[in-house]
Amino acid sequence: MHIRIYRYDPETGAQPHMQDYTIELESGDKKLLDVLMRLKNIDDSLSFRRSCREGVCGSDAMNINGRNGLACITALSTLKEPVVLRPLPGFPVIRDLVVDMTQFFAHYHEIKPYLINDDVPPERERLQTPEQRERLNGLYECILCACCSAFCPSYWWNPDKFIGPAGLLQAYRFIVDSRDTATAERLAYLDDVYRLYRCRTIMNCTEVCPKGLSPSHAIEGIRLELVRASS
Amino acid sequence: MRVFVGQRAWLLQRASALALLLFLALGAALLLVGPPLTYERWHALATSLPGAVIIVLLFAALSLHGWIGARDIVLDYIHSMPARLSVLGIIAVILFAIVIRVALTMAAHLSLVT
Amino acid sequence: MRSPTGGAPKFLNLFHIRFPIGAMASIGHRISGVLLLIGLPLLALTLERSLSSEVAFESLWPAVASPWWGLLLVILVWAAAQHVLAGVRHLLMDIGIGSPLAQARTSAWAVILTAAIIALATAIRWLA
Ligand code: SF4
Ligand code: SF4
Ligand code: FES
Repeated sequence: MHIRIYRYDPETGAQPHMQDYTIELESGDKKLLDVLMRLKNIDDSLSFRRSCREGVCGSDAMNINGRNGLACITALSTLKEPVVLRPLPGFPVIRDLVVDMTQFFAHYHEIKPYLINDDVPPERERLQTPEQRERLNGLYECILCACCSAFCPSYWWNPDKFIGPAGLLQAYRFIVDSRDTATAERLAYLDDVYRLYRCRTIMNCTEVCPKGLSPSHAIEGIRLELVRASS
Repeated sequence: MRVFVGQRAWLLQRASALALLLFLALGAALLLVGPPLTYERWHALATSLPGAVIIVLLFAALSLHGWIGARDIVLDYIHSMPARLSVLGIIAVILFAIVIRVALTMAAHLSLVT
Repeated sequence: MRSPTGGAPKFLNLFHIRFPIGAMASIGHRISGVLLLIGLPLLALTLERSLSSEVAFESLWPAVASPWWGLLLVILVWAAAQHVLAGVRHLLMDIGIGSPLAQARTSAWAVILTAAIIALATAIRWLA
């Protein structure tokens, strides 16, 4: 299999370049990550993140043949050769396929990704009806892999001010949570040309989410909640 | 004060879009229904009071809609503040001038008629 | 927050990114919007001319028949069609109609193709 990988070494500081690798596939090679791990054995200077190798941790997001995805759940049989691997678009590159996620996580923290409820807690737990719980489906599954935000043109142009699809999906997850009492504050924070309204509903985010979630749908939901709140 | 507000612009963009769709339907009806659009018919319609008001509103809606869209494009691609403000300023002046000029033209036609 | 990657490179070569059809529709929406904005003064001038006198009104049609104005007309017709159709698509998606991915892809294709067909039809009529 022919693979072209984006290489950048901060020590030399030389311009990033594409390096070609050819590797024979073995019977155990099912996903792109399998091949990457074997390449790493051959060339240990090659850097990428990975951990769970089953689409749970979200650490091996990268640009695969022009689209963002997780190497560990991308089947080799679906890939056209040469397989071109680059780091997540728009993110500062630390080394090879490893990018700096500082800003991405800063946006995540900014939306207060935890339940806010100052009422005295009941003796056991805060209960939800099945319907209330149902509203969290399609939101809580996000693994913060950044595939979506790094595929969003609005995020490319304003990564410092636009929260991006991942952060907004998480924001909506707490806005619709029946146990959270800070809905009004959350909405007020998002009512901003940059934080929320940079989104033009391009839906690139939904196109690439490896968990099949729809950040654009969540953003649509936030905007409608805002309309409801102000009318 | 928040200079670039969020929801208001978003709502105005949609409201003006709906208004423009309505005007588009009116325009299409004008061309498709009734006798062919000769100078006499067009002139009579456009310089009637409702006609003139609709035309001015049309240009106002076009300008407002265009302004919000242009502002979005500028916010995305132009990041240096002086450049951003000059481009926004130029666009605002031109759009404003267009609406004023159309309003004056239509007002002149109205007073000619009456 | 200080980031460890001050002078780090970024990969953002748009030619190496595969854009989904929705992104194409979106870029089309933006480009057509800019074209229409540029066309707005022209529309105002056309309006003035059409009302100024019968001679001026009648002279609008031969003007369109000249190649350059004809080309401009086709471009503006494409822009208007693209912008209006994509705009309706967005308005519907705002209220949750057609926002699931499969539907959004189909409607993006539909918008792009319909606008192209309308532009083509205008061009053919203009040539005929
Ligand atoms: S929404 Fe999907 S693509 Fe975005 S961070 Fe979460 S899991 Fe990743
Ligand atoms: S729908 Fe919004 S958040 Fe998603 S890619 Fe498009 S602009 Fe970004
Ligand atoms: S390695 Fe954990 S998501 Fe791919």
